[in-house]
Amino acid sequence: MSEKVRVYATPGCPYCKMAKEFLSKKGVPFTAYDVKKDKEALKEMKRISGGALRVPVISVCNEVMVGFDRGRLEQALSCLEQSSEIE
Amino acid sequence: MASVTIYSTDGCPFCAKAKSFLADRGISYEEIDVQPGSSAWKEMKEKTGSGSLPQILIGDEPVGGYSDLVHLEATGELSHKLGLAEEGEVAPLYDVIIIGGGPAGLSAAVYAARKVLKTLFVSKDIGGQVAWTYDVDNYLGFSQVETADLIAKFEEHVEKYGVEKLVGVEVKALELTGKIKKVITDDGKTYLTKTLIIATGKRPRSLNVPGEKELIGMGVTYCSTCDAPLFADLDVAVMGGGNSALEAVIDLMKVARKIYMVSLTPITGDEIIRDKVISSPKVEIFIKYKALRIAGEATVEGIEIESLETGEKKRLDVQGIMVEIGLLPNSELVLDTMEINRIGEIVIDSRCRTGVAGIFACGDVTDVPYKQVIVAAGEGAKAALSAYDYIIKQR
Repeated sequence: MSEKVRVYATPGCPYCKMAKEFLSKKGVPFTAYDVKKDKEALKEMKRISGGALRVPVISVCNEVMVGFDRGRLEQALSCLEQSSEIE
Repeated sequence: MASVTIYSTDGCPFCAKAKSFLADRGISYEEIDVQPGSSAWKEMKEKTGSGSLPQILIGDEPVGGYSDLVHLEATGELSHKLGLAEEGEVAPLYDVIIIGGGPAGLSAAVYAARKVLKTLFVSKDIGGQVAWTYDVDNYLGFSQVETADLIAKFEEHVEKYGVEKLVGVEVKALELTGKIKKVITDDGKTYLTKTLIIATGKRPRSLNVPGEKELIGMGVTYCSTCDAPLFADLDVAVMGGGNSALEAVIDLMKVARKIYMVSLTPITGDEIIRDKVISSPKVEIFIKYKALRIAGEATVEGIEIESLETGEKKRLDVQGIMVEIGLLPNSELVLDTMEINRIGEIVIDSRCRTGVAGIFACGDVTDVPYKQVIVAAGEGAKAALSAYDYIIKQR
């Protein structure tokens, strides 16, 4: 998977929606997965997070975050700027 | 930082005001006691050209008395003269700092901004407890709205007024003794304010058993509406016996393999939903049982429970634990400073006053009945207007 930012979410989860809106507002492209419907994505989410059973799970570059913490997500996003500078 | 000298004498009210002005802002000063006609008085007259008290010097520059200090601060020149303007070492003085990002805090921010108060909004997140439910059906003007959309609208409204915001930051301590209050955040910074609005809301009560904290997100959850779909084909224990616990069981009945409901008390909650739960073949209920510990290395593997009546212990092999045992007010910051009721809520009067001058509280952290979004928003407005009244009367 080549996407740099991935959001694993459920439709009933306000924090997931807030996380997605936060990314959109910042103009960060991301891929969202509905793990309620998409069982493959649920498996993938559990695998990369060491078995998390909480949404959202957000992966940015090589970091995986369980839950939506604005401060931590903002910090993690700095890897995107660094890699674009190298490119 | 430039040195500050103050010529003063006992029994001079403006000398005292000037000194506490400096002290409140963490500006150290040298004090020279002056008696009329003394050598110190002559020295003061020579340096400042004035014989009235107090006289203040920043470095060698005379800046006048107390009212001049206030004026210098208002124009922003004070930190410049102290040589701190660029470094930002002197914290600005806010009219109001609002702690908490739920409907109460956000509404207070709008009202404070509209009264042109110098406002700082501090919160670890935006939305507060309302973000734990998927939609809201009873907020005036919205017959049904998704919570995330409603919160986004609240936040947009606050942004329209350009309120200074610190989001993702937690308040670690408060110093409320002086007229100027100090707010200390987890990143080690201190913010100064004339008034404070506490809108910190409530959080889910935890079981307080070994293993719980360590396994949050790894099987332990407090948001059933968010996480229930993740427990597809797993065994889950729901802790609690009220409506939220029953709703969590209902959410799980569609997806989970087996559901244990563990409650300290007989199951309460609405009859319709209770009957649905009790009659489900997937559900097994343990009444008058308490949690002892949660087992699991990286993820939840089970929970140990004990009967309150017989002392019999049981282990339930589950991969998920949903904790639905009510809420606790986030009032720890002020537990020792103000009146708190027996369930931990801050006691306020009809104007959101806490009994400590300059400190106001609103929303679910207070003892105001009916915890509703619209009530919290109204209380936030009251707290901000009350803070405004307080500031006006202090002038």
